[in-house]
Amino acid sequence: MSLFEIIYTGSNAALGLAQQTVADAIKEKGKDHKVAFPGTAYSLPVIYAATGIKIATLGELEGALGVVKSLIVEEEDMGKALNAGLATAVSAEIIEGVRYALSEDPYKNETGIGFVPDSIIRSLGVPLVTGDIPGIAVIIGESSDKDSLGTIVKDYQSKGLLTFLVGNVIDQVVEAEVKVGLEFRVIPLGNQITSVIHVVSVAVRAALIFGALKPGDLSGLLNYTKERVPAFINTFGPLNEVVVSCGAGAIALGFPVIADTDVPEVPGALLSQKDHNETVRTSLEARNIKIKIKELPIPVSYASAFEGERIRKDT
Amino acid sequence: MSHEVLGFDVTADALLEKAKRDGAETMWDRKAAMKASCGFGEKGICCKNCSMGPCRISPVEGKGAQKGICGATADTIVARNFARTVAAGVSSHSDHARDIIHVLHMASEDGNYKVKNPEKLMKLAKEWEVDTEGKEIYQIAHEVAEVALMEFGKPFGTQRFIKRAPEPRQKIWKDLNIEPRAIDREVATILHSTHIGCTSEVDSLMDMSMRTSLSNGWGGSMMGTEFTDIVFGTPTARSTEANLGVIEENMVNILLHGHDPSFSEMVVLAAEDPELMKLAKDNGAEGINLVGMCCTGNEVTMRHGVKIAGNFYQQEMAIVTGAMEAVLVDVQCIYPALPKLAECYHTKFIATSPKAKMEGATYIEFNEEHALDITKKIVREAILNYKNRDRTKVMIPQQKSKAMLGYSVETIIDHLDKVVNSQTDVFETVKPLSDVIWAGVIRGAAGIVGCNNPKVQHDNSHITIMKELIKNDIIVVTTGCAAQAAAKAGLLTMEAKELAGRGLREVCERVGIPPILHMGSCVDISRILDLVSRVSKERGLDNSNLPVVGVAPEWMSEKAVGIGTYVVSSGIDTFLGITPQVTGSARFVDILTNQLEDKVGAKFFFEEDPTVCAQKIMERIEEKRDRLGI
Repeated sequence: MSLFEIIYTGSNAALGLAQQTVADAIKEKGKDHKVAFPGTAYSLPVIYAATGIKIATLGELEGALGVVKSLIVEEEDMGKALNAGLATAVSAEIIEGVRYALSEDPYKNETGIGFVPDSIIRSLGVPLVTGDIPGIAVIIGESSDKDSLGTIVKDYQSKGLLTFLVGNVIDQVVEAEVKVGLEFRVIPLGNQITSVIHVVSVAVRAALIFGALKPGDLSGLLNYTKERVPAFINTFGPLNEVVVSCGAGAIALGFPVIADTDVPEVPGALLSQKDHNETVRTSLEARNIKIKIKELPIPVSYASAFEGERIRKDT
Repeated sequence: MSHEVLGFDVTADALLEKAKRDGAETMWDRKAAMKASCGFGEKGICCKNCSMGPCRISPVEGKGAQKGICGATADTIVARNFARTVAAGVSSHSDHARDIIHVLHMASEDGNYKVKNPEKLMKLAKEWEVDTEGKEIYQIAHEVAEVALMEFGKPFGTQRFIKRAPEPRQKIWKDLNIEPRAIDREVATILHSTHIGCTSEVDSLMDMSMRTSLSNGWGGSMMGTEFTDIVFGTPTARSTEANLGVIEENMVNILLHGHDPSFSEMVVLAAEDPELMKLAKDNGAEGINLVGMCCTGNEVTMRHGVKIAGNFYQQEMAIVTGAMEAVLVDVQCIYPALPKLAECYHTKFIATSPKAKMEGATYIEFNEEHALDITKKIVREAILNYKNRDRTKVMIPQQKSKAMLGYSVETIIDHLDKVVNSQTDVFETVKPLSDVIWAGVIRGAAGIVGCNNPKVQHDNSHITIMKELIKNDIIVVTTGCAAQAAAKAGLLTMEAKELAGRGLREVCERVGIPPILHMGSCVDISRILDLVSRVSKERGLDNSNLPVVGVAPEWMSEKAVGIGTYVVSSGIDTFLGITPQVTGSARFVDILTNQLEDKVGAKFFFEEDPTVCAQKIMERIEEKRDRLGI
């Protein structure tokens, strides 16, 4: 299967899932049931930013499925493949939106925090602008080796990057005794792949809040994220079609994807780096993130990421 | 016939009007005088290889003469004519190459010609196993040149450069017994075999044509390019301007037309001579304005950014502007009509090569021993002619476009290095190019080359096909007059990426290149062979596996036939925008457009409608992608 065919397969699968999820929810709650993420003024941020439309009910969410469909045009063309990637992102937001519509806190029983509220994004704004946070790493999947994964996350942490975790990597990172939480700049989002939308939503709201972009200006949005949001994706483990399709969405936003498996490489956009010792360096170079590091010869890690750390008796 | 089909050529009509007023005759007048062309010649079924003839075969099967007097059928006659065309094309390129190799052979530290690119020389010495140990660079140069000169007439063995081809390709050539031997031998063999009473077997004539053409692509032309780079430097990215608007009102205008860089490079040097520049000023001009045309124009623009006055069909128009002090020519594609045309104006028409003396021309023989002295003398003639310009007869079209060019294989690879992640990949390879093709970001690549031909609207086919392909994410590389058409149309600019599809545009932005890459003159098509073969080798495949095509939208010369044949023989499908003179033999047409695929994995396509041609190219590229599963 060609790379684009894989993407379209994934986008269609995500669309199918979104359609089913919305239909089930409507059957259960009716079309007028309210849909909202907590702590945001941007409704469903990805859909809002891309189309300018605010979604408030399950019925309106059903309408948003049309946006997804229109973005999937199955031709062997890179522009269309990237659009299909965006379609997957919208599908993911629809599915996550339904989760929040059906439950007060769908992430109650997970390590992941799910939706990231506006207040956190605003608090990240200044360090992102000043370069105190030099980049955003999004880690997806399940690593074959949790220790090297832990090392990678710690490395990002010590360089001041903000790391988001999606999938089984969350548990692996915790097992590797990496401290997680906003104050450590390591944020677990959720175990399902659809949780990745919550970091996309961060990038998108950054464009709306700090870039003062008009909702509905899709090309302006993509340009802003490409130029101003220094994010990249690391995937671990085998990739299914939906993940590849998500990756296309990331590439559409200007974020390179570095996989630890064989992928059809696209220079600067989709790379294969099997050696986990090289993941960090490869990723930073791919996103053109340059970090001026003054190494201090001290026996503990040292970075602004540890600024919020609290010392307790038992640690 | 209106000539205003293209936005960048709005002045052609005005110039042709002017030609009429000035009493000057142009190719369009002669084309009109020709009336309908001979149907037998058009179909390739006329033979005059002996004095029993001329013979002609009836184009209608079963009616009229079906055989020549000797018994040759239409199939044989068409195949023989085709083979001779290939031989002529190959000999042109190869003789060009021979000259430049001679130049390297005479290069010296304090001579007119030097080794400007010792690294490339050393690489070649190593490739050819010339012992360099303890030898100074000029000794190595002379030895490498001697080895190269043997390629033309060595009694045994095959062309050295065929080893640069992907291994599966080498095997195909070996199995078909079409590995090219000595270049001159291949040409001579065709002339022998097409003599009356020799080869009549059509497949054999085709095989000979392929073998001979390969001695050009992987022999003459490739050596021509390599040695020109060694002597004059490998082209690097630079900017220039193109179209007749580069002719300057208040300068001494000198047109360089032809092919041979050993001459044109010296003219460039001469035109920079402070004494001559002063002479130009003393004669009332602001300076010396050297402009190029056709392949010699490509050579000097690739290496020095010399402005491009135009391509093949504009050679007369450049004179008709009335502002050309001198036209300097060497060999190939120079209209014999030019000396007479120049007489309508003050223009001095100077022929310089003993291989191309021209009726009515001023002849100043160029020889390499006194290269700079001679070219200075020629440039002086041009300067002194400035005062003779009749200003009432001057009309310079104000059309010109900016262009980026100089994309040798080395320069392309340098650019590709920009997107290499130093942690995952190595530098100095074509892997990034192969990756974007495999991922589908760009669908494939097309080499668009060739001439102009009054049978079609000049430049229209070039530009239509180029625009259509880049719009659909097919990267285009170009040489020769096709490249100059692109330059004039503004397609060789960074801004032209806006005309490209999303994938190609992204590649252009990241790599920092225009969507169409000017790779040089017609011998520089060997650069394209080199580039394609590197991608094949990167993937462990053959050229015929790649979604890559060659296109000659407006071809006219025998050289073009020689080129098209070696491109197909190298495994690359070739689209011809002008149907060759072979249609008198259905069998031969079937060989070219069908059977060759079984033999060499590629074939010819004839399609005169540029829009349809572009469509067929894209279909073929997708077909190749499907076969690869990408």
